[in-house]
Amino acid sequence: MPNTILEAKTLNRRFGGLVAVNDVSFTVNQYEIFGLIGPNGAGKTTLFNLITGLIPLSSGQLFYQNTEISQRRSHEIASLGIARTFQNIRLFGQLSALENVMIARHTHIKSSIIAGLFRLPPAPDEESKTQRKALELLEMVGLSDRVHEQAKNFAYGDQRRLEIARALALEPQILLLDEPAAGMNPSEKQQLSDFIRQLRNNFNLTIILIEHHVPLVMGLCDRIAVLNFGQLIALDTPTVVRNNPAVIEAYLGNE
Amino acid sequence: MAEFFSTYGNLIVSMVLGALLGLSLYLPLMAGQLSLASPGFYALGGYIAAILSTKVFSTASNPYPILLLLLEMLVAGVVSGLLGVAVGIPALRLRGIYLAIATIAFVEVLRVVSLNLDITGGAVGIFGIPQPFPTQIEYLWVGLPLLIVSMVLLYRLERIRVGRAFTAIREDELAAGAMGINPTYYKVLAFTLGAILAGMVGAISAHFLNTWNARQGTFDASIIYLTFVLIGGSRTFLGAVIGGMIFTALPEILRNIADTGGLPSWLAQFLRDGRLIIFGLLIVFGTIFFPQGIVTPNIFKLQPKHRNKFLKNSEKENA
Repeated sequence: MPNTILEAKTLNRRFGGLVAVNDVSFTVNQYEIFGLIGPNGAGKTTLFNLITGLIPLSSGQLFYQNTEISQRRSHEIASLGIARTFQNIRLFGQLSALENVMIARHTHIKSSIIAGLFRLPPAPDEESKTQRKALELLEMVGLSDRVHEQAKNFAYGDQRRLEIARALALEPQILLLDEPAAGMNPSEKQQLSDFIRQLRNNFNLTIILIEHHVPLVMGLCDRIAVLNFGQLIALDTPTVVRNNPAVIEAYLGNE
Repeated sequence: MAEFFSTYGNLIVSMVLGALLGLSLYLPLMAGQLSLASPGFYALGGYIAAILSTKVFSTASNPYPILLLLLEMLVAGVVSGLLGVAVGIPALRLRGIYLAIATIAFVEVLRVVSLNLDITGGAVGIFGIPQPFPTQIEYLWVGLPLLIVSMVLLYRLERIRVGRAFTAIREDELAAGAMGINPTYYKVLAFTLGAILAGMVGAISAHFLNTWNARQGTFDASIIYLTFVLIGGSRTFLGAVIGGMIFTALPEILRNIADTGGLPSWLAQFLRDGRLIIFGLLIVFGTIFFPQGIVTPNIFKLQPKHRNKFLKNSEKENA
């Protein structure tokens, strides 16, 4: 019996008259790579925003490790262990790659502002540990030679990798990746697929990802949820989802 | 030397106080919050010092004990900080220009209140504030340590968790939240630290100016402090310090230029009285041509990229 880490119960989100997420329920198991696909405007990113507390739920409940997080704000959810990347990359562009990652160590530094200002223990130790940890993460995503460069000057693919390093700095249990392969060429996509699998194994992560590139999702994910017009139309293993008539209709239209 | 200090003592101390006020506006700006509330807390701190020294600590000792001045600064800092939290929590729900407008309203409210209360002396204000020092230059004994301590602490702040949280909010509040940073908490913290500093500077200023009234810390002052930071540089605390010093000295410099003679009388008049117009123009042109201010963080690190460009150019010249 797999361990449930995240449970969504009849999530709803309305924007005025538009129902962006409509009665969506699902559970995500620990150590799973969980794919979220659907046509443009299906509500995938809105669902991510609901899970990470960026926008409030209209109704429904969210449970993370059996604790209700429906009303929590985004910084609380992040410190509980749910980290994310953004579809339209949101790095701190003016800051260096190192600073970007160090900022995300926020919840792991315990020393007070007074200790920090006056270099009282354990603040200096914690600061150097923070920097070491950030450098490790940058090395892991292959950016160790450019740690002092401003994030805005990075190429698109490097920005995506930096965003992943920043999210990992939170030491999350769940990592949400919003279109991590957008703008990558086929060989980069293959590398990314291997990289995500490694992440799951090395960090004992649960990964939820939105992705349009169907071969990547089919090859990578343990289970796939399909959204269409805000509704969950399928949730199963890749082989089953691929042959589901409702999914085929949503993607290709009916005759 | 003594003559130099008696002529320029007033200006030098004013420059130090100007630098401190620049820092008080820089602090909320570190977290991306354009708050113009500093003059309000400055006025409040001044009134606290004026009332305490003339009405509460009625000591006959001359000069006025420095310890009492320090106590006034402490009280002014604490009261400004508490008011800062109380005002900051609702006001910081506003963003950008709306926050600026709300803080201007706060400054105006304080001004009108102080004009109409008995304890603040109404329109006349409070005068005859006792002097802890025989000459004006000696106010540096209080002002300079405060400036140096503030600068050292800001230098440290930019390198620790709290400073990084401020920067993250300035860069992208939403992403900062997704990194586990509580935006409300840190915005209120930055605002409050600025309020505390402005209140303490007000307490020194009340003694320094000998009199305190509702003309201290008004909307004009908001614009002037904003010039300090915007033109000086809003990306490093040194920008606020240098901006505060230069722009406090600027009216004096302009007055000296006006007095040199040989200028048309309308120009001399403008240089003497057109201070706010000149500051306004500087803000407009400064934001166009120096969006990060005169002092940017890059001044301290000559970037390898630039160095290379420089080398290439000189190689070209050699070839």
